[in-house]
Amino acid sequence: MSDQDHFTLIPLAIDPESTAICPAHPSHVSRALQAELEALNNLHTALKALDAPLPVPPPPMPVNPKRSGQITKAREAGNGEYRKQKYDGAIKLYNLGLSLALARPPWEPSQLVREEVHALYSNRAQAHMQMGNWPDAAVDAEASVAAKSQGNAKAWFRRGKCLLEMGRLQEAKGAVAKALEFEGEEKELAELLREIDARIAKEGASA
Amino acid sequence: MFDINWRGLLLPLAYLAVLTGTFVTFSTVYRRRKAFQSANLAPWFGPHLQRNIYLSLLHMEPEEGSEKTPKVPDSVVRAALLRRAVEDINRIIQIRTAKAACSSLLQRGSVGDDLWQRFQRAEKEMEDELRDVVMEANALVPGWGQIIFQSANEIAANKVLRDRLEEIEAQRESEKEWWEKRRAAIRTEFMKELDNESEKSSTRPSTSSADEPVLVDGSSTPSTPSGPKQRKGKK
Repeated sequence: MSDQDHFTLIPLAIDPESTAICPAHPSHVSRALQAELEALNNLHTALKALDAPLPVPPPPMPVNPKRSGQITKAREAGNGEYRKQKYDGAIKLYNLGLSLALARPPWEPSQLVREEVHALYSNRAQAHMQMGNWPDAAVDAEASVAAKSQGNAKAWFRRGKCLLEMGRLQEAKGAVAKALEFEGEEKELAELLREIDARIAKEGASA
Repeated sequence: MFDINWRGLLLPLAYLAVLTGTFVTFSTVYRRRKAFQSANLAPWFGPHLQRNIYLSLLHMEPEEGSEKTPKVPDSVVRAALLRRAVEDINRIIQIRTAKAACSSLLQRGSVGDDLWQRFQRAEKEMEDELRDVVMEANALVPGWGQIIFQSANEIAANKVLRDRLEEIEAQRESEKEWWEKRRAAIRTEFMKELDNESEKSSTRPSTSSADEPVLVDGSSTPSTPSGPKQRKGKK
């Protein structure tokens, strides 16, 4: 951005049928331009599917309650299955909820996406843990804390627990220590940390 | 009385002329160099790709062979403007995070003056850019100027979140593979321990293994396939 009155003309062409924008000379195109044009075309498709009085995205708030309702329903159905100890079914329902939550149009509030996604990931981690599926559970728990790191003690606990189960003691310790930073003195987390420390001490003694 | 001795004054006058000449030359050269330098300061940000695309779309040139300028649909122009606003949001965030660091570094004298100049210029350019985007937005759809940056802000934040989640998801396969290998390794090790233990216990009664719970477990249940499962169930 050198000057507000100047710009660099980029040779662009438009596909008459799909109205997709593409470079006019596809032979020598930088990767950044290609990625940007792809993002532009994706956004354009998303905008065309928009159902709003104006042809532009409405303000982030208020949110269309339809999708939120579907996601909540999927999560609650998943929780029901979980309580019946049908972990497979629960995971399928959580998957559904996650795909719905992540398919929200990009201009909807990201905070809302975080809220929805963290609960779903955390619950799915728990279901995976019940099945002894530690690596999946560990990844889900990590995704959950990435979406919401504060006030998400359950997911932190699950992450630490899974790493402990897989024998990655140092990583588990790191995760739980970080969790304690975010959550303050959570009782369960502190206990888990003690457990991990005991395991480390034991491994150190036997090695 | 008023007969000035011009000849005698020649020397001081020449001296003064040389002196002012030197000053003037020095000051013009110095100023010109300074201006040149500040004009050539590297811009804070690289080229604004999204802005270039947006303006290129507005100034589409006719393709070779045909006279007609290709018509860009309004929806594409709107999408391009929204992309431009998203990039502006990213730049604003960068400027805001850099500002505190920059000014404190400048106060301590850790960075030169030209960095600060570059920064201030970027800030000013950013303001113009935002005003421009709002104007363009209002021209495309009345009233869009008020909300385009709200939308752009959410788009930028969602992008950050989704990138992070994708990064984590990408680890899933390798984590699973690692765990399969690791579990297989644990299992074979455990079998070996079990075998050793059964050999030992067949030769002499185990006395030393009392402090090793895993081995005790193993000796109490000599049926080998149930060993790993038990160990897992215990946790």
